[in-house]
Amino acid sequence: MKSSRKQRWQQLQSVFEPGFKQMLLASILIHLLVPILYYSPLFPQREIVKPPVYRVNLVNKIVKNPQAGRPEATVVKKKTKVKPKAKPKPKPKVKPKAKPIPAKPKAVKPKPKAVPVKPKPKPKPKPVVSQVQDKVRESALDKMRAKVAAQAHKDKIAALKAAALAESLIESPIVDAPVGMADGKGDEAGVSAIASVQEFIQQQWVFSEYQAAGKPEAEVKMAYNREGTLLHYKFIKKSGNSVFDESLTRAIVKSKHLPQALPEAMEFEIVFNLKDMLDK
Amino acid sequence: MRYFKPFIFSIIMLCLLSSVASAARIEISAPGEQTIPLAATHLLPMGAGYPGLAEEFQQALQGDLELAGLFDLVDPDAFLSDADKLGLRRNEIDFYQWRMLGADALIKGGYKVDGGKLTIELRLFDVITQRLLTGRRYVGKLTDVRNIAHKFADQILKSLTGEKGPFATKIAYISKRTGRKELYLMDVDGHNSMQMTSHRSIVLNPDFSPTRKEFIFTSYRNGNPDLFRKEIYTGRESRLSLKPGLNIGGRYSPDGREIALTLSKDKNSEIYLLGTDGTIHRRLTNHYGIDVDPSWSPKGNEIAFVSDRRGNPNIFIVDIFTLDVTRLTHAGKYNATPAWSPKGDRIAYSRLEEGNFNIFTINPDGSDDRQITFGKGSKEHPRWSPDGRFLIYSYDLHKKKSIWIMRADGTGRKKISAPGSNDSHPAWSGSW
Repeated sequence: MKSSRKQRWQQLQSVFEPGFKQMLLASILIHLLVPILYYSPLFPQREIVKPPVYRVNLVNKIVKNPQAGRPEATVVKKKTKVKPKAKPKPKPKVKPKAKPIPAKPKAVKPKPKAVPVKPKPKPKPKPVVSQVQDKVRESALDKMRAKVAAQAHKDKIAALKAAALAESLIESPIVDAPVGMADGKGDEAGVSAIASVQEFIQQQWVFSEYQAAGKPEAEVKMAYNREGTLLHYKFIKKSGNSVFDESLTRAIVKSKHLPQALPEAMEFEIVFNLKDMLDK
Repeated sequence: MRYFKPFIFSIIMLCLLSSVASAARIEISAPGEQTIPLAATHLLPMGAGYPGLAEEFQQALQGDLELAGLFDLVDPDAFLSDADKLGLRRNEIDFYQWRMLGADALIKGGYKVDGGKLTIELRLFDVITQRLLTGRRYVGKLTDVRNIAHKFADQILKSLTGEKGPFATKIAYISKRTGRKELYLMDVDGHNSMQMTSHRSIVLNPDFSPTRKEFIFTSYRNGNPDLFRKEIYTGRESRLSLKPGLNIGGRYSPDGREIALTLSKDKNSEIYLLGTDGTIHRRLTNHYGIDVDPSWSPKGNEIAFVSDRRGNPNIFIVDIFTLDVTRLTHAGKYNATPAWSPKGDRIAYSRLEEGNFNIFTINPDGSDDRQITFGKGSKEHPRWSPDGRFLIYSYDLHKKKSIWIMRADGTGRKKISAPGSNDSHPAWSGSW
């Protein structure tokens, strides 16, 4: 057996070219050298920088002169009264905690709801006549139902709390980023009234590319009072395409009430066209 | 007092100017939503009900509206009490309920069956402005329910887009369901299929006349592939072109006065123009290559066709007056079955790639070549709807052929052939 193994080994060695072992050794050394070099000071390790995450508050207050909302514009204002408004924003951890608070009173409400269920069994003892046992059973059932409902409420509250906690743990790398517009130049924390109105009216406008013919464009003047209610509107220029113009009328009627009040009564001249839709 | 009027006038002008200056200018260059939220209520009986009628109407109408791609249908399970009221006048409708459901448009309707006579009243309302957009009363037989639904779907598209829909039209196609290839006719949603020929040979390439209720097709009934014409309602049939060799791929011109087709009477396949009496008006191509599958431009001055004159089959365009030929497709090794859109802006065709045909569309100047079908199986013989918004085509998957419909951009694909029917070569009629 041993001799056959030796023979096989000798056969195998005869197959190798002369100098094969040296070549194999050199190859292994070179392969080992690569990771050694990689971790040597000759190739310094670069730390992977996480991309910045911006938290955008979509329900910011509508203001007349929004401030810059860029992270580098943090320390902008010192003069105005707006500053205290900006202060709470650097504490994002506190903010989300504040959110669940309004949920708590809601959570408390259901409890009293469960309580009024109890009085129901009370009137039942009144007809103490014959079906007393049935009524006792009913009252017991009612109590059980109330318990189940209370438990369901508790579970809901617990789920809400857990969600709020999870949200509070999310940290923004740019803690001091002010609330404002990217191109803001004013001194108020919030979003521009113009941008907000533009966004809202655009959301109300429904028009399909199957309805599009040519390049329609219309101009409408809309006046809102401070409360965000449409006072009047007027077509300055119609597109000539009745389907397009009717879609605008629908959008205007749907935009009768803005979701938030404006800083002051405002007028807008809005040009509607399909440039972005047709370019796609 | 003398300066009072100018003073007041200047004050008013100043006010106007200041108001103009204070108006903020905004540009909105795309809508926020591109589908119209539409609530389609069930037909309600105006008197005694008829079982199944409202359901069949709803199915046909909903199929058309979904294919249109224009609507976002409100879930009927969310409908409130107003859906159960037969209110066909605007003052009878609680629009507030429909606003709450997010609907911008509302369809309401009622039906009456009197003996065999069916009357359907339909209304389309604008929920936001509380206006009647369109209303129709249709009278017909009980079997006309689906047709009425298609007609109202066309009317809805007309009202909301300014252009009538193609749902109340017909589709001719070739089916091998009897074992032989025969010509059939069906609705756009695949219902009401009807056999039109019994040639017991091979029938091919149907095309509708744009002006009359008739079509042309090629049949091997007499041994040679001859061009036939058939009147749909009378069933009268005649041979239109019986030249020796091929008489195939006949297509009516947009005005219905001429027919372009391939003849091989001189041993080579060339495109010719025929009169509706079958006489040859002129020869359009003259090349040793094979020229087949003509398709007219909507203006009737050009014809797209397939030719292998440059080696592989490709799409070319010939001007029927100057006979100048230009090459349309350059990509791909096998491009065939062109179909010129009735709007004139696109040409659909099929291209062979990796053993399968897929449908592409291209501008008539050769730009913007786009693939609109993907996946396994061959998709061939595209044909446009009369409004240019939809395409039909035959789909061959594992040797099982069926007809499919889709929007012009390739979305909303839907099979319209009956299961196992082995259908191909569809052609879409004009307004019916």
